[in-house]
Amino acid sequence: MLDTEKLIASMARDASPVTPAPHPFMLGAKWLAAAIIYIALVLVFMGLRPDIVFKLRSPIFIAELVLLASIIISTALSAALLSFPDLHQKRWVVYTPIVAVVFFILLIFLSWWADFPPVPLPRHNVQCLLSIACLTLLPTAWMFYTMRGLASTHPYWTGSIALLSAFSIGALSLRLSEQTNSLIHVIQWHYLPMLAVGLIGLLLGKILLRW
Amino acid sequence: MVAIRLVLSQAKPDVDYPTEVSKPLLHLEALMSQALAGDKHAYTEVLRETSRFIRPFLSKRLGHAAEVEDVLQEILLSIHKARHTYDAQRPYQPWAFAIAKFRLLDHLRAHYANHLRHTVELSEVENTLVEAVTESSFSYESIRAEIHLLPEKQATILQMMHQDGYTAKEVAQKIGMKESAVKVAAHRAYKILRKRLDENA
Repeated sequence: MLDTEKLIASMARDASPVTPAPHPFMLGAKWLAAAIIYIALVLVFMGLRPDIVFKLRSPIFIAELVLLASIIISTALSAALLSFPDLHQKRWVVYTPIVAVVFFILLIFLSWWADFPPVPLPRHNVQCLLSIACLTLLPTAWMFYTMRGLASTHPYWTGSIALLSAFSIGALSLRLSEQTNSLIHVIQWHYLPMLAVGLIGLLLGKILLRW
Repeated sequence: MVAIRLVLSQAKPDVDYPTEVSKPLLHLEALMSQALAGDKHAYTEVLRETSRFIRPFLSKRLGHAAEVEDVLQEILLSIHKARHTYDAQRPYQPWAFAIAKFRLLDHLRAHYANHLRHTVELSEVENTLVEAVTESSFSYESIRAEIHLLPEKQATILQMMHQDGYTAKEVAQKIGMKESAVKVAAHRAYKILRKRLDENA
């Protein structure tokens, strides 16, 4: 077996200058900039929902969009920090998605309470989930590709948070392009799958973020 | 006057406690910064210092000195792999300890999983237990002695795989061989061992 001193000597021999990884906030900002471009392209391709002007007068809908955006921002920053061994010594930022998700859940409950009489369910159901899943693929691939170049010591959580971020991008895109006002449908086929996505993310993190 | 100056100059480091504490940390950060720029000497120093403060951390948590050394080497390799994620603006020790903790947990997880995998239900073997214990022609000592007579590389591989519980892949990483080469060497070693033990029996 190798002696530790010999190992140190051999590693030092191989030590060429390295390009430092970007600051996690820069990385997060890069992801967010790409997310904005991506959502814009999706909306150009799929079109904005026909009732967007009317919906933008609803404070609950605006709050929903703002909180979805805040989930995207907080999860992107959190995933970026989680990709560094010591969380870049900014542990508190890692927990910010919890705050965003809690507010989002509260808003959904509030909307549910306000949704009386309930808006009838649309004819489609699982198609929405599939659309979001398709829209999630590209951001997921890019985020995981970037994170694999770093060194996460929390691969499960990093995977989960990154996938949640990518899924939120898909959910926001679809919310802006699909004309669905049934809250039950939105909860069932847009937002509840987020829980499953979080679990899939744990698994993806375990497989893809090992180093 | 001279005496007073002397006393003051001697007393200063003790009074200025924070400087005393931050000195070694700053030293490591500066060294790591140089190491990232390609300074091999600084890198050697950083790794030596790192093993100096990680070793006691591992010793408190692991039983055997050999195991401590193994995990320490894993940690140093991980630090080498992840060194681009270190930012010289931040303290070095929390970064190194985060990696150390991660690798230690990985090691413990693999260790216990390995133990569970090799656990045999007593009810499954109780029928064969009586004959097996008394009729075995090989003793543990005889196998061990034969392993030591094998060529050095083969002996090391068998010892790591069967005594220390490493997989072929882990052994390959540790001794710098390909996984397939480790498996071939282990297979050859088994054949030799079997032959010798049969001859001795």
